[in-house]
Amino acid sequence: MAADASVPTLANRLQRPSVVGLLGVVVVGGAAALLLKNLTVAPSRFFEVTLIGLTTGCVYALVALGYTLVYGILELINFAHGDVFMLGGMFTITYSTHFFGLHHGQGPATILIVFATLVLAMLSCGLINATIEFIAYRPLRGAPRLAPLITAIGVSFIIQDIGLAWKGPNYITAPDVFPHSRVFSFHGVDYGWNKLIVVVITIPVLLGLLWLVQQTRQGKAMRATAQDKDAAAIMGINVNRTISFTFLIAGALAGAAGLCYSLYVTTVRFDQGFQLGLIAFTAAVLGGIGNLPGAVLGAVLIGLIQTWNEGLPWHMPGSDWTQSIVFSILILILVFRPEGLLGERTPEGG
Amino acid sequence: MSSSSNGNGTPILELSDVHTYYGSIHALKGISIEVHDGEIVTLLGANGAGKSTTLRSINGLNRPRQGKISFQGRDITTVAAHEIVKRGIAQSPEGRRLFPRMSVIENLEMGAFQRSDRSEIRGDMDRVFELFPRLHERRNQKAGTMSGGEQQMCAIGRALMARPKLLLLDEPSLGLAPIFVERIFDIIKQINDQGTSILLVEQNALMALDAADRGYVLETGRIVLADKAAALKTNEQVRKTYLGET
Repeated sequence: MAADASVPTLANRLQRPSVVGLLGVVVVGGAAALLLKNLTVAPSRFFEVTLIGLTTGCVYALVALGYTLVYGILELINFAHGDVFMLGGMFTITYSTHFFGLHHGQGPATILIVFATLVLAMLSCGLINATIEFIAYRPLRGAPRLAPLITAIGVSFIIQDIGLAWKGPNYITAPDVFPHSRVFSFHGVDYGWNKLIVVVITIPVLLGLLWLVQQTRQGKAMRATAQDKDAAAIMGINVNRTISFTFLIAGALAGAAGLCYSLYVTTVRFDQGFQLGLIAFTAAVLGGIGNLPGAVLGAVLIGLIQTWNEGLPWHMPGSDWTQSIVFSILILILVFRPEGLLGERTPEGG
Repeated sequence: MSSSSNGNGTPILELSDVHTYYGSIHALKGISIEVHDGEIVTLLGANGAGKSTTLRSINGLNRPRQGKISFQGRDITTVAAHEIVKRGIAQSPEGRRLFPRMSVIENLEMGAFQRSDRSEIRGDMDRVFELFPRLHERRNQKAGTMSGGEQQMCAIGRALMARPKLLLLDEPSLGLAPIFVERIFDIIKQINDQGTSILLVEQNALMALDAADRGYVLETGRIVLADKAAALKTNEQVRKTYLGET
């Protein structure tokens, strides 16, 4: 059953005071010292970068939740998820500019258009994600785990090629519609509307997701299916439909992330989903894959680490090293705390 | 032994010539079983004889390749697992299969997942708690953290929450202390007295035959004996193989 003591977890191995533990303290301590030094050298810069990090973390959170939802229910790392996010960005640009004629300086109408685009982008990505599951993963339900994993990588390339064929090899730009004027000032640092809008979209979506999973009948079916598919089936839960629904929700979150990203960063390219997807996946693992609050926590941490590294002035490794740092975190987590920061220590991963 | 009727009229559950494969293994080689309304029927057999596969064939998790299963006169051979419980068959499966990270209450609620009569679910949960006062004490505990006996109670209670006409019980006494085993069998009889038919798979053949009206003996996917429970208890072969007598 769930938590057998006989499963030798890394937690047990880490009980003994080890070189590894010491090393961990040194790394975390060193990073903290570096941040503290930056805080004293350039406090306003530090706060500015931190706010950007939180905003970036919100986008990562939306994508990371999709990884974690799908992993929770199928134990599949859906490598195509980042590319669905990329499509979300492309849908956003297509819907907002071509359908709704969005451009800079439309005033209050902007909000309406963005909201309509958000709904459409979430719907499109949700349906695409559910279709991917139906076509590519469902036939492999009984197959060894490696088969759907490799299929997911294949689907990732297919979606990238679709993006390439659709929008071409260059960056396409989204209209920069949100005013950069400040919402509030903190230690002399301005926080612009264009950043706040990301948070304004992300927070309700996250709360809605938690409500869905915790309180609704469909959410209970999702949790039951994640914990034991056969048992769920004999309770009267349509397991396949529940899995489809999970992919739909995960895709919709990726669509919301695509909208936030494309309106905030204002550029989209066919291959950006792959990289951002890997970062978001790292965030999901950091928080404990399969764990919803964990994915959000991991995403915010990764967002902060990334922007601190790239934006702080005093002896930070800089953006050339961002990828190395993020994936070093992934490796360290997988080796030393595979259940993640918030994950339960169960064989099935929490 | 039981107060219930002994098989008049058409059976509530009927398996005829069922062949089921487990992967590439031919697990059931043409078995035919009947359960009549109000009966307790037990399936005996060694490990790997096909008892659990029989239950999995009935509840739709392992569809037969050949043969027919009907419930209340309707063919359910190819009905999906999640539809079968709506027809009135619930199961406490092998290994209990609770949702480990849900509380006892949530597990019981999942048992009533397909029911729409929300107002009556609450009352049914109270009745389950009456049957198993221990579950009431543990109602907010995560199911995966309970003892084996408590989990077994929860699994049976969860199946009852579906208000089944037929209850499939797979090894309800497995791994339990003797005192728990007697309790569980008392409760099985109680459930049956309230009108639920029961198909019982048990390795504790003595207890099972005491509780049951009729029994079948399975050997490597075939039924080798079928009789009234009292007759099986005195059968030479059954006594040697399953009751541990010499």
